[in-house]
Amino acid sequence: MVTQRIDHKWGMVVDLDRCTGCQACVVACQAENNIPINTKSFYQQRRAYHWIRIERYWEGEFPNVKAKFIPIMCQHCENAPCEPVCPVFATYHNDEGMNVQVYNRCIGTRYCSVNCPYTVRMFNFWDPKWPKSLRNQLNPDVTIRTRGIMEKCSFCVQRLRRGEVNVERRGIEPLTGERIPAADRKLNYRQMKEGNYLPACVQACPTNALQFADQNDNTGPVKEYFDEANEQIETRHQGGHVDEAHTRVYRLFEEIGTKPNVIYLKKVEPFPLDKA
Amino acid sequence: MMPSRKMLPLMVAGGVVTVIMGFIVVVLFISWFSNPPFGLGNAPAQPIAFPHTVHVAENNIQCEFCHRNVTKGAAATVPAVETCLFCHKDIDGGTVTAQSEIEKIRTAFETDTPINWERVHRLPDHVRFIHEAHIRYFTDETIPVKYGINGEEIIQSLDVAQTCTICHGDVGNKTVVQPKTGQSLKMGTCVDCHRNNSVPTDCTVCHK
Amino acid sequence: MKLTRRNFLAWAGLGAVGAVACEGFGIRRGELDIQSSVRLPEDLVRGSDNWYASLCRTCPSCEGIVIRVMEGRAKKIQGNPYYPTNQGKTHARCEAGLQALYHPDRIPTPMRRSGPRGSGEFLPINWQPNGMDSLRSALQANGSSSVMITEPLRGHMALLADRFVAAIGGERLGFEAIDNNTFRTAVKNVFQQDSLPDFDLENSKFILSFGADFLSTWVSPTRFNRGFGEFRQGAGRGRGMFYQIDSRFSMTAANADKWLPVRPGWEGYLALSLAQVIVSENLQARGVDVDSLVGGAPGIQTLNNFRPEIVVPLAGLTPEMTGGDPVNFLKSLARSFAANRPSVAIGGGSAGAQSNGLFNLEAIYALNFLVGSVGKKGGVKFNPASPWADVPNASTAGSLEDWARVTDQIRSGKTKLLLLHGADPVHGLPDSLQLRDAIAQANDLFVVSFSPFLDDTSVMADLILPDRVYLEDWGDDISEPGPGYQVVGFQQPVVNPLFDLDPLSFPDVLLTMAQELGKESDLPWANFKAMLREGSDALFNLNRGSIEASSADEFWNNLLRRGGWWDELRNGPTSVRPADGLLRTIAEKASSPVFDGFGIGADSFYLVPFAHNTLLDGYNGHLPWLQAAPDPLSTVTWQTWVELNDTTAKSMGVKEGDILRLTSSKDSIRAVAYPTPAVPPDTVSVPFGQGRKHGSEYATDRSGSESSNVMDILETTLVKDTGSLAWAGTRVRVSKTGESISISKLEGDVRAVEIGLTPGEEIIKTIAPENA
Repeated sequence: MVTQRIDHKWGMVVDLDRCTGCQACVVACQAENNIPINTKSFYQQRRAYHWIRIERYWEGEFPNVKAKFIPIMCQHCENAPCEPVCPVFATYHNDEGMNVQVYNRCIGTRYCSVNCPYTVRMFNFWDPKWPKSLRNQLNPDVTIRTRGIMEKCSFCVQRLRRGEVNVERRGIEPLTGERIPAADRKLNYRQMKEGNYLPACVQACPTNALQFADQNDNTGPVKEYFDEANEQIETRHQGGHVDEAHTRVYRLFEEIGTKPNVIYLKKVEPFPLDKA
Repeated sequence: MMPSRKMLPLMVAGGVVTVIMGFIVVVLFISWFSNPPFGLGNAPAQPIAFPHTVHVAENNIQCEFCHRNVTKGAAATVPAVETCLFCHKDIDGGTVTAQSEIEKIRTAFETDTPINWERVHRLPDHVRFIHEAHIRYFTDETIPVKYGINGEEIIQSLDVAQTCTICHGDVGNKTVVQPKTGQSLKMGTCVDCHRNNSVPTDCTVCHK
Repeated sequence: MKLTRRNFLAWAGLGAVGAVACEGFGIRRGELDIQSSVRLPEDLVRGSDNWYASLCRTCPSCEGIVIRVMEGRAKKIQGNPYYPTNQGKTHARCEAGLQALYHPDRIPTPMRRSGPRGSGEFLPINWQPNGMDSLRSALQANGSSSVMITEPLRGHMALLADRFVAAIGGERLGFEAIDNNTFRTAVKNVFQQDSLPDFDLENSKFILSFGADFLSTWVSPTRFNRGFGEFRQGAGRGRGMFYQIDSRFSMTAANADKWLPVRPGWEGYLALSLAQVIVSENLQARGVDVDSLVGGAPGIQTLNNFRPEIVVPLAGLTPEMTGGDPVNFLKSLARSFAANRPSVAIGGGSAGAQSNGLFNLEAIYALNFLVGSVGKKGGVKFNPASPWADVPNASTAGSLEDWARVTDQIRSGKTKLLLLHGADPVHGLPDSLQLRDAIAQANDLFVVSFSPFLDDTSVMADLILPDRVYLEDWGDDISEPGPGYQVVGFQQPVVNPLFDLDPLSFPDVLLTMAQELGKESDLPWANFKAMLREGSDALFNLNRGSIEASSADEFWNNLLRRGGWWDELRNGPTSVRPADGLLRTIAEKASSPVFDGFGIGADSFYLVPFAHNTLLDGYNGHLPWLQAAPDPLSTVTWQTWVELNDTTAKSMGVKEGDILRLTSSKDSIRAVAYPTPAVPPDTVSVPFGQGRKHGSEYATDRSGSESSNVMDILETTLVKDTGSLAWAGTRVRVSKTGESISISKLEGDVRAVEIGLTPGEEIIKTIAPENA
């Protein structure tokens, strides 16, 4: 049937060796997702809204000091700890591998945020405020969240939907506007890259440290990393051993079994610090 | 019988609570049922009396001639003043009232003033509804069987105007459009129809 | 029921509850309005977005962008995937252009000063006749003694502004608080190039950078980031090696494989010692004529004065920093720099902002000759001349000497008219220059500002004629640095100004004035768009490049659709012959850096200021997204912080959040202490960009905001031979104020991971699940 959703499983690959910590993704996310302006008092109260944030870790002492940057957004876990604790099913896992937050169901119990090991869920402690003229910028594709509900990274689902409508339903080639033959109408990595369908952070990232693709899409350049990560999970599940010294692929907090759809690639350190 | 002095404060308190509760119930009732998408609201007063009957039923103008965005994008949109002038540059009204309403259009065009229509059908901010996708589905000849909003089977493929009536009702035969012309559109209505037609019912399909 | 005061109040309360409930449950008025437009634009599909290509103006590098416009409102800025310099990518700064467009503090209409100068009291006036008439009479009376201060202009805007000031007999100066003049002069002296070079990081195997924060703020960070990503993990190439030699642990240093802290101002000595090792060990690339480069035997002798053994103690290198003998470290660094070709040496930032900054940069860039990476793939790439004969391919900016002269001219009454556009020199020049006082006290001076926002300089204006914001205006740009071939970017208006704003385009105002003053022969164009169209036609007539079109009209349309024109076949020079004895000439210039301010002492520190990752020199200070974007290293937002070494802080009894006072011989500022392990013990660092006195409340320094301008305490040390401000050449005394506040930073915002406390490795390690 034409209207059946094409099988997607979205995922992100974060290459820490490329990430320079420049904050382009952070501001791009704020612009795309109608995130309230983080005023100074938000930060002082430790309640700033960041759907994606760049954490910085210090290592060592002067003069042998290093700083590492890790962009952290919702990991869209397959076994998401936030999902079972929601009393109203406001957060659930959809058939495309995304952890979805339904704002109009949320009643603000904040259990999900307590249960999230990555601390990526933001609670709206205040009604969002913008100066009147700045509201002209707000993205009409994203709801403004009111006080008392939980919000988080959505993998820019509104952009994916736009891509699906244009490519899979209307069959429009994003770059040329030509018709795509009915059999080829699947939103793939190339079309996302050339259209405007990538998540805003990925689109902005100047070093291409963030890559986004369908894990079922064989044309994507990051397919190998998804495969390797899945293989690792399988190996561990079978009780096998993963040679971590020879792979860059890992997932955050994999040991607690959340099975994230975001994959990290380790930073390469030619001069590692001596561990004290 | 006079209540005892002891009972009086209790009774007053009880009365106040009842009044407050009743008031809240009334407020909830009115706000739930009076909002346009829910079917009980009255027709809003439009700045120009626009009779759909004359345009659609009598003169056979297609829906998408004026609501030209409906086959292209999310919103159906009200026509630009210029669109009205395509015909009303030359066509005058049959009656004096009609004539004065048509003059309003011409004045708006000459003075470059936009017309502020009152919205009849409104979806809340957290819902994404794309008219174009729905019209494309119901007019698609390759899909053999489709189901209407009440689960009725649709075997022939529809044209645009017929598709519109599935949700909006027979607007073409109404002088005044009001919410109850069409279907009551609650989330259940959307989900039922999606389910009947085997369309995805993932939250992110409609909710943004 | 009897209405008493008591039950009246109760009923009133109930009524209020009811009103709130109705409002809460009901639908707001505005949501039920649909306005039908009058006209019917064919390309406007309601609820569908249009994407327009244009140029970004939030930083000088000028990226190609596309803007998502829905129903007349700009919604999102993204990189233009075709544009050669940024290739679809953006920096955090680009995104925030939307906030400039819809900023609540935009000046809505022309204004005339009504209070004393600098008081910020203005009265709105009309463009016609008052605004234009006052401007015309000011130009008529004092045009020949006028100074126009603009941002560093490029493209047709530069041509227009220069012709305009020439026609009225005035002078134009580009203003940049952190100017590139020293870098530019070094490029001229070493490579004989007028425009800034590009660095081909993508194909480079070894980057050696001195002081340049090129991934964050320096010159063209988006482009460099793009290349850097490939340098690290590009397909079909090995991982590149990157050393950063810097007196501050910048974001770029954090991304280096090895950061070498150097005593401020000794970068040039280090570069020459590397050169000495390469020359003495014969490590230079094949085909490099070392003899002529060094200048024969006397050159070698001069260069021997920079042996690692001599330089190491001067540059303050210790065995702890280099993990062994520093001399051996420098030698092996020189060897791997020479061996891992193509390699590239980059210098800038604080390395050039010393009294000996020009020497430092020349010495650094000369290294590229030794490893044969000048004009070559993976090295320094040069840009060709402008495709238009009359439009320059490089921008100019005044040096501190120029600004001192302008200040004197204002004070002496020689300059009677000041025209300001896109520049805030009062905020961006050291306070010790006293430009603010000079303007405030000059009675004969008439100040016209074209700024769409109030800032520290435009608040001194007598007449404010608000310009359009770049998303509402026409423009063009010749990328500097370009990608090594000819690139012209075009900027088009993507939205109209909001209905309550009445700005007029600055170039259009200049053209109108030129016509009214009878200077049509110099500036014959009706408006700026016509001028750009003429430029487009000239490109069409070149009959080459990326835009295919059969007519000039089609060319113009395709040009705007694509966001620019470029010709990948018109490259810059691929080989540059070094001057004879270049290294010797440079080495003979060597001098130690001079520091003004307080001398050596326990509480005296080198002050190494740096451009803020998002606010730059303060140019973007009014944009809330950029104020709220955490600094990459300290994660501090909104406030002015001072980075100091954590051990030093402990010994001084300073904790995070303490407010410190930084005192130079000129003045003092307050800043919030942020102790980190990554600052040399004898150095403190403060970002530029905060502490405006006037204008948008997002940017201004009010009590409790802890936003101060580090320019206020800089000494006016000059870079020798370029006259630029040596902004890293100040020493300050640091003292406690006894006050302490909550620092507004992202670090510690999350409860579980406790960033900043645990090393990254510990957190991200992967272990097998328990059934393994």
